[in-house]
Amino acid sequence: MSKTSSSPSDAAWRARLHRGLAWLVPVLVLVAWELSARAGWLSSRVLPEPWAVITAFWALATSGELWTHVSVSTGRAFAGLAIGGGLGLALGLLTGTFRIAETLLDSTLQMVRNIPGLALIPLVILWFGIDEAAKLFLVAVGVFFPVYLNTFHGIRSVDRGLIEMARSYGLKGWSLYREVILPGALPSILVGLRFSLGLMWVLLIVAETISAQEGIGYMTMNAREFLQTDVVVVGILLYALLGKLADVLAKALERWWLRWHPGYRSAAA
Amino acid sequence: MHVTNELELPVFLDRTAADPVAAARVPIARSGAARGTEVWAQGLSKSYGGRQVLDRIDLRIAPGEFVAIVGRSGCGKSTLLRLVAGLERGDDGTVRLDGVPQGEAGADGTRIMFQDARLLPWKRVLDNISLGLSGPDARERAREALAQVGLAERAQEWPAVLSGGQRQRVALARALVHRPRLLLLDEPLGALDALTRIEMQQLIERLWREHGFTALLVTHDVAEAVALADRIVLIEEHRVAFDERVALPRPRARGASGFADIEARILERVLRQPAAQEAAPPQPLPQAPLWRFAI
Repeated sequence: MSKTSSSPSDAAWRARLHRGLAWLVPVLVLVAWELSARAGWLSSRVLPEPWAVITAFWALATSGELWTHVSVSTGRAFAGLAIGGGLGLALGLLTGTFRIAETLLDSTLQMVRNIPGLALIPLVILWFGIDEAAKLFLVAVGVFFPVYLNTFHGIRSVDRGLIEMARSYGLKGWSLYREVILPGALPSILVGLRFSLGLMWVLLIVAETISAQEGIGYMTMNAREFLQTDVVVVGILLYALLGKLADVLAKALERWWLRWHPGYRSAAA
Repeated sequence: MHVTNELELPVFLDRTAADPVAAARVPIARSGAARGTEVWAQGLSKSYGGRQVLDRIDLRIAPGEFVAIVGRSGCGKSTLLRLVAGLERGDDGTVRLDGVPQGEAGADGTRIMFQDARLLPWKRVLDNISLGLSGPDARERAREALAQVGLAERAQEWPAVLSGGQRQRVALARALVHRPRLLLLDEPLGALDALTRIEMQQLIERLWREHGFTALLVTHDVAEAVALADRIVLIEEHRVAFDERVALPRPRARGASGFADIEARILERVLRQPAAQEAAPPQPLPQAPLWRFAI
């Protein structure tokens, strides 16, 4: 402990250098991209120069158009997540908790699970037309299964020793469920949620490219018609950014709800 | 070597304890004895999948008595404790707690300590102790219990950061906060290192003397049984093989020759029998009614 005066700042500096090095390659790629676009090696019909993407983003942001599209897309994504994830959670809790519900529902759900959500698109268009409902349905179907499966698994893998202990300490019914079973299943449920968040954006992108009057998908498809590759790239980057934001949100939830868990605590520290 | 007063006692092991009724009549010279539950198991049998684990066990434990059950692994000693706790049902026979058959009265007066502490990892230490506790003074009582096991300053920690011995202390506090009249200990110190184990034994003995509950300890450690118990019961071949009183004064010094004599005798008796062939009994299949928690 005595000769720590110089080494911590030294170590901190080295850590900063490492972090800086990690950014070196992306920056070089960007610079090469910009230079090749300016030199005319890269046609703007293939890929716009980075600077054009930035200006397109700025133009869309200042006109307010960007925020409309982003908020519409985000609203759709989370509405779909709420419906599909909510149902998945409810059914997962039901089948995980009650043997009879598992017998009745689980094999049916496992069969339906094998149908890829996107394969339903023709049917969905027939059922719901090309309205909001179709997009919500696609997202909801996609996010349902990860939440359902992980909730079921989470409930079933709660430590039986803890349940036996809680029962012998007089907990039963709802209080046993609230104090022991739900918290025990939570790590698994959150894994399902994070899976769902990834799927949610993929499904939304596809749903919005089919047809839309608003949203990021509409914005990019529209830009494609007019060969505005810079706007297309802005759209792609927005999807990436929103996906990342959703993941950060899920991680923050994990860190808060699972702060008792040594695995998550060390990740947070 | 100086002469300890144990050596002045003519008999260390009192044979009358082998008779359960006589054992129940032995007066317990402790003020809190009235707080303990009387346990009376009669003709208790249990088998798993056709394999007999316990065969017509009779055991009577006086209020406030500390009884240790020893035996080799798989001899059924943990099963006996689980039957007394009401965690499982026997195939035959009855367990009466203060004369009331197990299961008819609530299990309010009985608490169990398991081999693993079984703390809820998502609750802080203090909340773990107040589990199942109600009333306005619940947290105050939990704090008191935590102080009794010497961990008052760890109240707001997560169980994951505690050592094995500290977790068992918390589990002990969690059991004691309910002011149990019967404390069942299912090898609670089995996973601890030797020094922590001795410390915990002293703690359990001190709290038992203070609270006056009846204690039933299952252990494979003969020294632990001799250190703690008023009576030692050996289960062998599914039956009570012997049941003897330990007449050493408390607190018991491990180095004392009386202690070592008893330990050696019991150990020799336990080792006489070849090891049980099968390991721990398999978990029975639950016969679940249609609507119940599947776990």
